[in-house]
Formats: sequence, structure tokens, C-alpha cells
Amino acid sequence: MPLLEVDRLSVAVQSDGLLQPVVREISFTLERGATLGIVGESGCGKSLTSLAIMGLLAGTPVRITGGHIRFDGRDLLALEARERRRLMGAAMAMIFQEPMTSLNPVYRVGDQIIEAIEQHRRCSRRESRERARELLQQVRIPDPAGKLDFYPHQLSGGMRQRVMIAIALASDPALLIADEPTTALDVTVQAQILDLLLELQRDHGMAILLISHDLGVIAETCNRVAVMYRGQIVERASSVALFAMPRHPYTLGLMRSVPNPDVDPDSNLVRDARNEPGRLDAIPGRVPAIDERVDGCAFHPRCSMAEPVCRRDDPAVHDRNGHESRCHFADTLS
Amino acid sequence: MTTLLDVRALKTHFTLKRRPGSTWFRPKPILKAVDGVSFTIDVGEVLALVGESGCGKSTVGRTLVKLERATGGQAMFGGTDILPLSTKAFRPLRRQIQMIFQDPFASLNPRLTIEQTLAEPLRIHGLATNRTASRKRIGAMLEQVGLAPDAMHRYPHAFSGGQRQRIGIARVMVLAPDLIVADEAVSALDVSVQAQVLNVLKDLQRDSGVAMLFISHDLGVVRHVGDRVAVMYLGRIVEIARTKALFERPAHPYTQLLLASIPRLDPARRGLRPKLMGEPASATAMPSGCAFHPRCPHANQRCIDATPELETRADGHAVACHHADKLTAGHAA
Amino acid sequence: MSAATLGSRMGGQLVAPFRLFRGRPVALAGFLWLLFVAALAVLGAVITPFDPLEIDPVNRLLEPASPHWFGTDHFGRDTLSRVVVGARMALIIGLGTVVVALTLGTLIGVLSAWFTSLGHVLMRIVDVLMAFPALLLALVLMTLLERSVLNTIIVIGIVYTTTTARILYGMSLKLKNEVFVDAAICSGASTASLLFRHVLPNLASPLLVQASFIFAFAQLQAAALDFLGLGLPPEIPSWGNMLAESRTYITRASWLLLFPGAAIILTVFSMNLVGDALRDRIDPRFRDDIAGV
Repeated sequence: MPLLEVDRLSVAVQSDGLLQPVVREISFTLERGATLGIVGESGCGKSLTSLAIMGLLAGTPVRITGGHIRFDGRDLLALEARERRRLMGAAMAMIFQEPMTSLNPVYRVGDQIIEAIEQHRRCSRRESRERARELLQQVRIPDPAGKLDFYPHQLSGGMRQRVMIAIALASDPALLIADEPTTALDVTVQAQILDLLLELQRDHGMAILLISHDLGVIAETCNRVAVMYRGQIVERASSVALFAMPRHPYTLGLMRSVPNPDVDPDSNLVRDARNEPGRLDAIPGRVPAIDERVDGCAFHPRCSMAEPVCRRDDPAVHDRNGHESRCHFADTLS
Repeated sequence: MTTLLDVRALKTHFTLKRRPGSTWFRPKPILKAVDGVSFTIDVGEVLALVGESGCGKSTVGRTLVKLERATGGQAMFGGTDILPLSTKAFRPLRRQIQMIFQDPFASLNPRLTIEQTLAEPLRIHGLATNRTASRKRIGAMLEQVGLAPDAMHRYPHAFSGGQRQRIGIARVMVLAPDLIVADEAVSALDVSVQAQVLNVLKDLQRDSGVAMLFISHDLGVVRHVGDRVAVMYLGRIVEIARTKALFERPAHPYTQLLLASIPRLDPARRGLRPKLMGEPASATAMPSGCAFHPRCPHANQRCIDATPELETRADGHAVACHHADKLTAGHAA
Repeated sequence: MSAATLGSRMGGQLVAPFRLFRGRPVALAGFLWLLFVAALAVLGAVITPFDPLEIDPVNRLLEPASPHWFGTDHFGRDTLSRVVVGARMALIIGLGTVVVALTLGTLIGVLSAWFTSLGHVLMRIVDVLMAFPALLLALVLMTLLERSVLNTIIVIGIVYTTTTARILYGMSLKLKNEVFVDAAICSGASTASLLFRHVLPNLASPLLVQASFIFAFAQLQAAALDFLGLGLPPEIPSWGNMLAESRTYITRASWLLLFPGAAIILTVFSMNLVGDALRDRIDPRFRDDIAGV
């Protein structure tokens, strides 16, 4: 049984009295100890999906309008608030993009970790402090004992993110959801944090749901990848398969529009859609607004391969050896 | 190639407020954001300035357009050192040195229409004698950046991030400047939008021959746009070279590890990258000698004692490292 | 940017009253009351059944009944007519103090933010003035001047200049650091241009909200001054003066207190409601800044 199963989840935002769908019936699973990456640009719904899974939508204008979220076989949406809360933090933990705003600035870092520890087990003050120190050591913070007394603003961005990870690990969760954990960090610090996450995963057998807009981050960290566009998963496969041979025009477009530091732009390899050298093959147009209506395939207005059928029908999932794609022409893409 | 901008030993230091609780007779901490930076930009050339946060690259850009005051050094533009110029004396030169900002949502005055925003620089520098001429020029410029001319009648909130950034580019290009400082011009944009705006920027640069100081933390973007690249670390330039040379044969250990740290679209690379340990020191308390030595795998006593100077080799490739000759054979991949 | 453009932009943002008060029926009622008061101020003398200044000792202290629907005072003057004409003073005081407070407050606040050294000095002076309760400050100033409409406006205006200056100081500081201001500097804009084109228009919304609150509180201050014998000259019919004169007759002729008092309360309350609606509509971000008045 998969650890996490999202089944036709739909989420909508209350805006001006209307309910606008932002996540449209997405489904995916995550096995124990595996890593799934959800990649997409802003507005695709990936962050809201993670918030929905963690149950952090209360008090916001965002609502779950359909589907199921099953954790270890139990339907999270059917649980009572108190039961769900107990599950949260214990078996599921989350880290966010901006550690400065997710850490309370008026409490020392050590106290915040201890708070997380004491949520899930009863121990003496000395025991929890020792455990907090242990956790800081696991996340490779130099001088862990000393750092316990630091305030968040006294630490650098990379260290704050490590503290966040330590807090998340406090309960030894089975699932870690990381929402853009390295976006605000420098590339060298990012590499360290990603390596840390993989190491921790190995040591603890933790499953990781990694959300990012950065294809490279996803490629180097995740076993499986799901690409989201406008509230739908448009392609899903193992990362090896997806990056070797994408089966959706959007994925292909994304990959082509990222300038590659290993490729000389003056060489023949960099050409745009009209074959002009030195220009990036950018995806034309932009993501439709939340209240804009698009018939048929959500991507068709920006797709170079669009045919009349794309304007009419929302594509079904085309599966080939576990590599799924929502494109009428998925099979011809390669 | 004629030199357009010649920056020599530029220094921008900020005096910080004393931390609460520290003694009053200690000198106030100084943040050496830019600490002796030298480079040149030729007419029509794009020099990319790359580095991680805190390295001082944005401060270099802001100092050159006089949004920050330089503490030392010179910046020769058209034969004059622009750094000591008064606001009034510098104003006519502002037509020639312009800046594109990072945040598309904050760089446009929300109360002015696009036309009003774009007409302001034209009016200040006397480039449009009347409203009709101004409108014509603005309309043409908007088209060049890929927007409809009637966009000029609308307010910024009607546009997306990518469109606003195009407007920011139009605002700058409408003056036909000689040098543009692009401060993380595409960093705040989504991947697909970033590619569009980069194309626009590159096209305009090529067509107009404007020189550019392209500041960015993104090496992929930098490779795509720059003719030459300068790598900064803690307020100093550690390496400058032609783009191809820098990416294929990086000479400085920091550059090598920086390139190695970039995530690639290759799942097979998982966990195989060399790791750069530690984090940059604070710019208020810089390490002695070479600022990079605490994190450098090749550091020795000489690196702790002496600050390496930027030395230019015969092929124009400049490095500030005591071990430069030994390391140049290929990069640590 | 010309004042006309500025005005029209503010007007454009001021949305049709009915959209502004959607879901706030009480605020809408308040707005209508204010329109009514404005109408009275304009038409005043023309529509009153009696001459508000005419003394008629024979009919003094009559209870409210036809033809004196609000009764008469100790001089036999018709209360209703005096209340109607008092609306004019209410409006003049309100608008006058708004003009004084906003002009001086903007000047001090914005310039203090822009020129930091000047700002340190000015803001400390403002701090000192703010240490005095508003009424106390007004009293002190009024004792130095003779009673007149203009002086009342000036004095109350100065009192509210302090909070306005403080609020605008904070906002201007924030605006100073905005990226679009940097962009304008890079375009070569002069300081005057930066202040008038970029800073001031972005202060228009909070200024509008501030104006509504000053209008309301000015009524109370003016009434208090009148009550203490320091505000408007006693011969001018104003709600505050009417309250002052009613003191002696409270037990015998409570209507002399009731009607002008009700007028003041309704007007202040209405202006507060309208101000709240404006504030919530314009920008929830600024809500915490308008705490001073």
C-alpha cells in the first residue's frame, strides 16, 4: 500500500463570491522511502496541493472541493480535526520556502525544536534538549550545542533551513513535504541542503514530496516526477524516463526554455522555434488567469503542436510503461 | 574595441548601526559590500557579473548608477570619473547609463499609466518635444518589446510580471542609452516567461549595440547572455574571462565549485557532485588573505596570509588565486 | 502632474458611493446624513422658517411644538432655524481644519521623511506637541488668539497636523525606499518631481481617510471650545455655541441641548462610519497606520 495516495483531489479558491478551481482532480501516489517531485510554474496549484495534504487550508479562502487524500490507508479528509492534528507533525512534516517567516523570530532556535519534540513524546527538559542537539547535528549544523541558543535572525538562510529540517525530523516522520525548500537559497547552499535531504531520507527511510519550479532540483533529487500545469498533472514518470524523453509539450517546452550552463549559446544546439540561433525556445504566451476559461487541453493556446482536437477535448491520460502524459499526441512526441 | 566604462578599485562600504549591547567605544561595524573591484566594459559588450547573495554584485550596479555612494575608486565613463559627480552634474549622464530592476511588481509607479512612466525620462532629457512625438516613440518602443502600443494607456496592475519587466526594459531603451545595468532583470520571473524576456533583451542588445552590465546569480542565464563573465565573492572579483573560456576552463576554485553545484537535468548525477562546504563569511568580518580560503579545498598558509590579486593571463583570462596555474587543467567535475 | 489630474484620479478611485457602502447600510445612512448636512449648509438661510438671529422675547423657552418644531431658546430664537444654519459652521470648521491639517501635515511629514536631518528635528517637535492632549493644546493656542472662525480653524488644524505629519512621515519613508522611486531617480527626475509625481499621489488614499477622521473630530473639538467659551464668537450660530448657551437651561429647556447635541453626534458618527468604509475599501494595508486620530 502506498504511503500517500492522492485520489482525484480538487481544490478551489473563493474569490468575489465565486469558487474558482485551481487544482482539478489530480491523483498520485508516493511509496514509503521514495521521492516524488512536483514541478510547475507559479499558479499551477502545486503549493496548494501540498497545503491541502497537510491540512493547512483552514481559515483561508481555499477549499477542498473533491477527492480523497489517504495516508497509510486512512482517509485524511474524513478524520476529525483532532485526530488529523495528531497525525500531522507525527507522521507527516512540512518545510517551507522562507525559513525566516516559518521560524518564530522571538524564540531561540533550540526552544522551537524542543517544542516540536515535546509535541510527540514526554521527556524531561534535559532529554529534549539533548535530542534537539542531536537533531541539529544530524542536519550538519556546526557547533550544534551552541546554536541551540541562537535566534533565527542570527543564522544564515542555509542554517535556518537546516533548523527547519531538524524541527521536521523531531517526530521521525514517515513523510516530509518540502515546498520550494531551496528556492530562496544560493546555489551552493542549495546543493548542500538537497544532499542533506537525500542523506536523511536514506538514514530514516523517509518519503519526500518535493515541490519546486526548478527542473534541475527535481532531477537531482527525485525518483519520480509529476509535472503540473493549470491545476492538472500533465505528465508523470520516473525522473530518468521523463528527462530522457519527455512526452508532453509543456515539459519539453520547459526543458528547452531553461538556458543550459553547459551549452555554448552560439553553437547549433541553441535555437528557438523559428530555428534562429542563440535564442531560447521560449514557450509563447502565458499561464491563463485563475478565472479564465480554456476549453479542451489547458495548454493548447501556447502549444506549437495544437490541433483542432486539442481545442475541443481535454486529453485523457496516455500511459506507456508507467510514463503517463495528458496529451493527445503523447505517443508522437518522441 | 573602444572602452566605454573603466572601473578601477571600486569600493562601497556601508557603516552599520552598532548592535544593541555592544560597547560604545568600539568602532561601528563596516560592511565592505564592494571591496576593490576593477573591470572594463567595451562599447556594445555584455559583461555578466555573477555571484551568490552577499557578494556585492548588486551594490556594484547600484553604485555605478549612483543609487549608492562609492567609498573609493574610480569609474571612468567617456573620460570622466562619474563617482565624485554631484547629482546635478550627473543628471545629463543618466541618459546614457540606465538600470533595469529585478522586481517587476515594484519597479513601476502604480499611480501612473505606462505612458506617463515612459514619458518621464523622455521629458527630463528633452528627447520628445511634444506629446505626439512622445507617444510615437513610446508606442514604437512598446512594440519592440513585444507589447501592443495601446498598452501605454493602462496601469501597471493590468499587466503580468513578464509584461511589466518588458515595460521596464522599454523605459530604459527609450532613451537609447550607451550602457544598461541589468540587476537580476529576469530572476523574479517564471521559467517560461524568463526565456521570453531574455530573448527580448538579447535581441534589443544586439540590434542597438548597447553595452550591458548583466548582474545575475543564475549561471545558465549568464552563459546565454554574456560576452564576458566576472565572478564575485565577498566583495571582490575572483575571476574574469570570456564566457566560453570561463565555463569550459574555470580557473578559480570557487568558480569550479559554483559550476559543479548547479543542478542539471540529469537524474544520474544524484549525489555525485562535489560539495562546497560551509557558507560565505560575513562581509563585516572578512577572513584574512583570500576571502575564500575557509572553504577552499586547496587552501594553504599563503592563502591565509596574502590576498591574491587579479592577474590577467595572456589570453585575457584573469584569476585571483595563488594556485591558478596548477588548477587550470580542466575543472573539478 | 496638475492638481486637476490628481483630483480626478482621486475621484476615480473614490468609486460610486453605493459600491463603497455595499454591505454597510449604516455607513450608507451616515453618508446620506452628511449629504443632508451639506445641503442644509448651502441652502440654510433660505429654507429656515424663521430668521435664526431674530429675537422674540415674548416667545422665549417655548417647548417644541408647531410652529417652533424644535422649540425656542432664552432669546426666543427658533431652535430649528439655528440648527439648520449651524450646519454651515459645522461644514466650514470641518473643511477648514482638514485643509490646514492636511497641508501642514503633508508638508512636515513628507519633507521630514525625504530630508533625514531636517526630519529628526521636525519629528521631535511633533512628538512634543503630541504629548499634549488635543483639547489642552487647542485651549492654550486659543487663549493666545481672539475668538473667530479663522482662528478656531487654524488652532484645531494645528492640533491635527501632528498626527497627520506622523502618519505621512512613516508612509513617505516607506515610499522613499520603493523600487519605482529608484527607477525615477535613474531616469534623472529632480527631487521636486519625485515628491510630486511619485510620492504624493501614493499618499492620496491615506490622506483621504485621514481627512474624514479629522473632519469628524474637529466638530467635537470646536464644540468643546465653544462650550468653554473659547471657540467661535457667540453671535455666530453654531451647534457648539448652542450647546454652550443651553447650559443654564438644561433642566428647564432640555430641547436646547438635545437638538444641537444630536446634530453633532450624528455628524461625527456619520463621518466616522464613512471614514471606516473608505479605509477598508482603499487599502487594508494602511489600517494600522491610521490609529493616531
